Amino acid sequence: MDEAISQPQQVPLRTEQDWSARLFPNNEWILLIVIAVECLLFAFSGNNFATTGNAFEVTRLSVEIGLLALIMTPIIITGGIDLSVGSMMGLSAVVMGGLWRDAGLSMPVAIAITLVVGLLGGALNAAMITKLKAPPLIVTLGTFSLFRGIAEGLTRGIENYSGFSPSYLFFGQGYVGGVVPTQLFFFVPAILLFWWWLHRTTFGRSYYAIGFSQEGSRYAGIKVRRRLNFMYCMSGLLSSLAAVIYVAHLGQAKSDAGTGYELTAIAAVVLGGASIFGGRGTILGTILGLLAIVILQNGLRISGQPTELAGILTGVLLVTTILIDRLSRIGVSRITVSEEEFEVKNWQVGVLSGVILVAAFIVAASNWMLVRSIKEQGGSAPAAQSQNAATSTGKKNVIAMMPKAKGDPYFISCRKGAEEAAKELGAELLWDGPTDLDPAKQNEIVQAWITRGVDAIAVSVENKEGISTVLRKAREKGIKVITWDADSEKDARDFLINQATPQGIGETLTDEAARIMGSKGEFAIVTASLSAANQNEWIKFIKHRLAEKYPDMKLVAIQPSDGDRDKAFAETQNILKVYPNVKLVMGIAAPAVPGVAEAVKQSGRTDVKVTGLSLPNMCKPYVKEGIIDSFVLWNTGDLGYLTVYAANALSNGSFKPGETKIKAGRLNEIEVVGDEVRLGKPFIFNKGNIDNFDF
Amino acid sequence: MATIGKTYRREISAAAALVALLVIVAVAAPSFFAPGNLRDLIINNLPTLLIAIGMTLVILVGQIDISVGSQFAVCSVAAGVLAKTGLPMPLVFVAVMLIGGLMGALNGTLIGWMKLPSIIVTLAMLVMWRDALRWTTEGAWVQGLPENFQWFGLGQNTGEILIFAISLLLFVVFGWSLRNLIVGRTVYAVGSDAEAARLAGINSSNVVFWVFVVMGALVGVSALLNAIRFSAIPGNSGVGLELKAIAAVVVGGVAITGGRGTLIGTVIGVALLGTIGTALTFLGINPFWEKAIQGGIILAALASDVALGRLEKNGRSDLAATTSPA
Repeated sequence: MDEAISQPQQVPLRTEQDWSARLFPNNEWILLIVIAVECLLFAFSGNNFATTGNAFEVTRLSVEIGLLALIMTPIIITGGIDLSVGSMMGLSAVVMGGLWRDAGLSMPVAIAITLVVGLLGGALNAAMITKLKAPPLIVTLGTFSLFRGIAEGLTRGIENYSGFSPSYLFFGQGYVGGVVPTQLFFFVPAILLFWWWLHRTTFGRSYYAIGFSQEGSRYAGIKVRRRLNFMYCMSGLLSSLAAVIYVAHLGQAKSDAGTGYELTAIAAVVLGGASIFGGRGTILGTILGLLAIVILQNGLRISGQPTELAGILTGVLLVTTILIDRLSRIGVSRITVSEEEFEVKNWQVGVLSGVILVAAFIVAASNWMLVRSIKEQGGSAPAAQSQNAATSTGKKNVIAMMPKAKGDPYFISCRKGAEEAAKELGAELLWDGPTDLDPAKQNEIVQAWITRGVDAIAVSVENKEGISTVLRKAREKGIKVITWDADSEKDARDFLINQATPQGIGETLTDEAARIMGSKGEFAIVTASLSAANQNEWIKFIKHRLAEKYPDMKLVAIQPSDGDRDKAFAETQNILKVYPNVKLVMGIAAPAVPGVAEAVKQSGRTDVKVTGLSLPNMCKPYVKEGIIDSFVLWNTGDLGYLTVYAANALSNGSFKPGETKIKAGRLNEIEVVGDEVRLGKPFIFNKGNIDNFDF
Repeated sequence: MATIGKTYRREISAAAALVALLVIVAVAAPSFFAPGNLRDLIINNLPTLLIAIGMTLVILVGQIDISVGSQFAVCSVAAGVLAKTGLPMPLVFVAVMLIGGLMGALNGTLIGWMKLPSIIVTLAMLVMWRDALRWTTEGAWVQGLPENFQWFGLGQNTGEILIFAISLLLFVVFGWSLRNLIVGRTVYAVGSDAEAARLAGINSSNVVFWVFVVMGALVGVSALLNAIRFSAIPGNSGVGLELKAIAAVVVGGVAITGGRGTLIGTVIGVALLGTIGTALTFLGINPFWEKAIQGGIILAALASDVALGRLEKNGRSDLAATTSPA
């Protein structure tokens, strides 16, 4: 509300504003400084950060969120918000995939219909907001669930549309003239168009009026409802367009497209100086805000810093910019009240010192962490070098290794082995990945590694089609590529470290279940999320095996846990009551199994057993109590260990295609078949052997 | 009677939806009402209810807090780490409440005192707390908790009763204070019109600050009561909890613009949204549609709210209807 009062006071004071106020009405110059500082820092700390190639890659990665941020700008200027844009991307992606593959429509027709769907989704938001006068925050919170829910319902979470034609994929993956990413030819005109619309037409300017006062704008003859309707419809349309580009970029259409994009888009707009209360914001600011966020993420990756820092720093940046903005505005609006001026200043000084204190604390803490990590590295390096004095030729191999999700306990245990191997070999290990399952982030990280320049890349692949393009690119640049845990397309990598095939896992799980149940009766599965690719693959083989070998066993339910222990717990409670004849519950995600076991334990049902796929440390107490009969896994630490050894040997040239064995430190010799390095069969953990494992 | 119907019409419409859902389940899957199931359902939803109580306060003063899910994760891990140092459980309880309260105080300072928009501040906190936690724990679970951690060492039955009792106590205290104490009424006053409240001698900034502190403390309680149901603590819990709580509060008839709503509505909202997932399983409907149905319910609640509002207004006078709220 303060803004609404302060702005009109300002205008009559100065009829001709100076150039800086006209160019940067909302202190956007702060962002320019931030971006400059970021660029300087990363140019020194990262390899190849300041190159044209990297500059273009950064812009390619920001196109989808950028489109959302562009339309979010007028929405926030009117004092509204749209949380449903990310979910609309998911819905559009599966609608387009379905129309193209299942309905057999040609790509342009499918895209056109998808855009119409986006428009209709936007229209639903618009109708609720302008006709029913419901608050945008809640309306779009509702459609946030609704759109994503429809996308999941339509595809049953499983469907993954891929195999699009190269001419369509060119829109998301290609280069025009060899350097400029194709989607920039959509994005740059879109920016210009939005700038012109919002800042140079009466139509666009009216959104500022609406943001100051809806009622006032109505009396001034602005058709408020129509303007808002148009804007929210556009929001749906642009989300669809973003989805079309996203699918072309990744080569797959799945219901999880665009998860969480709404928050990044909003952050970019607010960082760019738009006021969430309405009436303020510029396209220039939004673009600068977007760049500040994307450059930070890209730079941290290229200089090998933990990506969690990006989230923390973005948060600090967000709070600091609105705080500075707030303080500078208080100064302006109270300038006429000379009595209060002094008091205000005192207060400002107090707050500023507070902020500086907090900032100093954060900087100090992060420095301390940094020093500590460097010390650790420094401490370990000499020892490792002495061990490998004979083998290392002085050059330290940089091995970049990516899990599907960093926070997953399964991958955390893989990391331990990988670090052990890197230490032994005196190689530098870069461990980075998406925080949660996110195929788009995987591509982004591989891209950053290519730019940075590493010797070998090892990826646990979430999305086969999408990542293969970037991996091929890495190979063209002479980087050795290995896939581990889950494979990409065969021509996109040199070797696969194969711990177990989906078929092997599915069959072992089914055989274990059959053994426990005596090959007959009902059982249920608690999976990860409904769209998890690995788990769906395993379920396919489980069903296959059942039909083939165990006709008396019946799979009665497959419930999602979203990788959340607590949800697995609640779902198992339901299963036990709805299907009282279930004799066994199988959890096929690491965090799900302890949840399943706890639910069975608390139900007091001693006749129900638990099995599945999980980590020894998580399951140990339940195995000892006899609730979990047995579970399946391989030695995850060995998997990480072997991957780093193979990657290192490959980049040294000591391991080449065609060999039948590879030497891997404490694992001795490991069998190689064709282009697969085989770790061995899945291992069955039970009461007898679980105490021998600690991971 | 008519006045009760008018005052609580939003709560009544949400309750009607809940009853309708329960009737459908009763006909199609009567086993849903087995005492064991109801007990599990209640215990599973109590942590969400505690968060929703805090969220009701926050929304009543016209703010919003989307950082509660991340705060929940921080508090859960903190509870485990503290318990492992050998601190007695009552002290762990107090400490976790304090940690939650401190995180709330940070929100409160920025929103109440600095007058920054709550959605942006808590959006920043959502990202910051989650990433800071990931950075420090690297996703690892807190395992090997002491014997007296699960159920406070009292066994499952007593533990569950205790969780229920603590939640009920907090609900009654908050519900009663909101209605009957000056402190509670100031929350409504500030949410209805902060400027009018200020002129009436209420320190709005103070009220907003303390509401966020209370929200944080409730997150702490919720995280602890959730954690003691298990024997290990995941490093990454509470994802999406904020949306669940906000949806429940709104479905329960609390106005997002502030100043209107009751905790009874919130309980009904939590019950409605918390029952759907379980009810779908009992009805044998595919879990794929759960999210879509939840979204549909939020939109339906909004639409019915507006429709009811129109009816009431038209009944009163035509003049009032023309000056529609922006």
